[in-house]
Amino acid sequence: MPLTGLQIFKLLPNTNCRKCGYPTCLAFAMKLAAGRESLEKCADASAEARAALGAASAPPIRAVTIGRGERAVTVGEETVFFRHEKTFVHRPGLFRVLDASQAGCDALLDQWRGVSIARAGETFQIDGVAVVEAPGAPGVAAAAARRGFPVAVLAATPEGGAAIVEPIKDQRPLIVPPAGAAPGPYAALAARLSVPLVVSGADLAGLASAAVEAVKAGVADILLEPPGADLRALHHSLSAIRRGALDRVHPGLGHPVFLRVGLGEFEKAVLGITKFASVLAIEDQGGETWLPLWTLRQNIYTDPQKPLQMAPGLYPVGEPDSRSPLLVTTNFSLTYFIVSTEVEATGMAAHLAVVDAEGLSVLTAWAAGKLSGDRVAKSLRQMGAPELVSHRMVIIPGYASVISGELEDALGDGWRVLVGPQEASDLAPFLRDVWEPLRAA
Amino acid sequence: MSLDLKPRKWAGAIRTVTLGAGSRRPVTVGGGNGLPLHTFEGTFPHRPALALEITDVDPVRWAEAAREPWDGVLGRPAAAARRAVKDFGADLIMLDLMGTHPDRGNRSPEEAAADVRAVLDAVDVPLIVKGPGAGPQQNDVLARAAEEGKGEGLALHSASQEDYKTLAAVAVAYGHILVAESPIDMNIAKQLNILLSDASMDLSRTLIDPLTGGLGYGLEYTYSVMERIRLAALGGDAMLNSPMICLAGDEAWKAKEAKVPGAREPLWGDERQRGIHWEMATALALLEAGAEVLVLRHPETLARLRTQLDCWFGESPRGGQICR
Repeated sequence: MPLTGLQIFKLLPNTNCRKCGYPTCLAFAMKLAAGRESLEKCADASAEARAALGAASAPPIRAVTIGRGERAVTVGEETVFFRHEKTFVHRPGLFRVLDASQAGCDALLDQWRGVSIARAGETFQIDGVAVVEAPGAPGVAAAAARRGFPVAVLAATPEGGAAIVEPIKDQRPLIVPPAGAAPGPYAALAARLSVPLVVSGADLAGLASAAVEAVKAGVADILLEPPGADLRALHHSLSAIRRGALDRVHPGLGHPVFLRVGLGEFEKAVLGITKFASVLAIEDQGGETWLPLWTLRQNIYTDPQKPLQMAPGLYPVGEPDSRSPLLVTTNFSLTYFIVSTEVEATGMAAHLAVVDAEGLSVLTAWAAGKLSGDRVAKSLRQMGAPELVSHRMVIIPGYASVISGELEDALGDGWRVLVGPQEASDLAPFLRDVWEPLRAA
Repeated sequence: MSLDLKPRKWAGAIRTVTLGAGSRRPVTVGGGNGLPLHTFEGTFPHRPALALEITDVDPVRWAEAAREPWDGVLGRPAAAARRAVKDFGADLIMLDLMGTHPDRGNRSPEEAAADVRAVLDAVDVPLIVKGPGAGPQQNDVLARAAEEGKGEGLALHSASQEDYKTLAAVAVAYGHILVAESPIDMNIAKQLNILLSDASMDLSRTLIDPLTGGLGYGLEYTYSVMERIRLAALGGDAMLNSPMICLAGDEAWKAKEAKVPGAREPLWGDERQRGIHWEMATALALLEAGAEVLVLRHPETLARLRTQLDCWFGESPRGGQICR
């Protein structure tokens, strides 16, 4: 519920000090109420005023940034419970847990820094490093920060946490106290260093009030660690926090969520990514855990209002040569993935020409006139496809069969258009029974 | 400041559907009156059911990691069914009659019926029978299978908007459940249920298959269409409140990421575990979106999901697992 100018005025110091640039506190309060100014400009505002104003004027879930520079992770600012209502905005940061007591951390960090997997227009990488408090952790955390990683500090003690955080405080590390620890000393540390903090609670009410207390202690950026010993309890917490934040039932719930994922807790990570967690500190290090999680995040955080598109162009399946088949499909990502998977399953190398059909599937694109013979021919020439193969045959999707004549004319020069199957799942027999004999002939 | 979180109540509920009759131990799904898995605010008389997939012929395209637990019984449906139930603890079985497809063996409806009979004789759990897919074979195979399994409450997979009349008649005549498949489209799902209703199909004997996109291959489309179908059902739409079935295993294991050896893609990690995780991420996400029947391929995925469901629905997990 937004506050009125007068309600805000009562929270201000009423000194008319002009440090905010306005002649009176009342004038400043009116601007705040209209959302045209930020309370940051009031040097003497009390913590109470900040808490009350922050809650009233802020988006339902505050934004929090961890790290600095191009790899900084910003989370929060979500506005919906179901992704189809609008979209989920900030994909969660997947942090990898690093035990600082082990040998060879520097080499490991270099290796992690180099992890990069391109998939469907996104580059998967390790978003941040969660350093476990141990002797040597300050050096390891600094080494991670130097490599550009946003850092989370999994503290065991306030003193130990401070020793790790202080040297890298300008890199906005996230302080994560041990679950259930007395929050006071950690909140004081986060407030003093102006860094984000994770708060926890034995139940949802405890969690919400812990967040409010942390704000009062002067912590600006907070993440919530939800209670929940098993998946069912965690699902309850995650759902209640998101709904409570959107409905603004309690100011303590309007923060992004932090989740620890221990060894082998793959299911917990899946739940976290689908159900609103914003930063996950994951102990498993293997690609067999990370690749599915990255992919799940990509799926869930795709904007449902936009069709998922591929960049048009030539995509090799396997290692094709001039005798390999040349297949045409559209640049709807799902279509591309299904076609490439089916072709790959045949074990045959192929050239896949992904033509610009404005991100539509084959049938829709053809119906909308985005997959005409002229358009496909032009697109194939632009990507240099005709020079790639010696056989002068191009395979088009079955649903676009009516363009075959037009495409043959447009390509000219003895090109032959083969009409492939309607469903990608029938590509294997098509390539075996139709394509192979034609190539052999 | 106290925290006041009110449980959300809905006008509608999911229909209950019972799979299996006659000599089967029946399995009932549906009946929930809240968002999927929202056990903290709704009542859920039945938990989601977990099926394992078996095939009439050797599924040569299955990934090695998915074939391994079925070693020795691939293409032997009765033996595979026994293993699925006795060793792996499946709540029900899906017999995929893939071999009746013209490209995969072109087995006759008679051979398919014999396979159905063999599986029915081998185990006593409910049986989902999957035909070869769209095409002229689908109706012939499923109609013959339905006749063979008369009175056993089979789930016939599947009827589509273009082709439902024969199967609806067959399902009614022989006392079976019909799976209504729509192409990730809520309007078509509803339209098909209306058509089935008009064809005197009792909608408490249908399941919706919203068409599964596996992880990385359209999962998000299925996930959101299922959430929307569930919301419509809870809002009171009686044409969209059938329980949903998802073929999670088949779609997940089709992904190249579930198959490629770790040696070829070192960043992708262990191949076997990756495939199981691929299936798990697909299945668990779809469970969250409202799946009431999940058809899985790898028994380890089933075992792990069963532990979670045991914990979720207030039973102590089998095999001494702890809830976490």
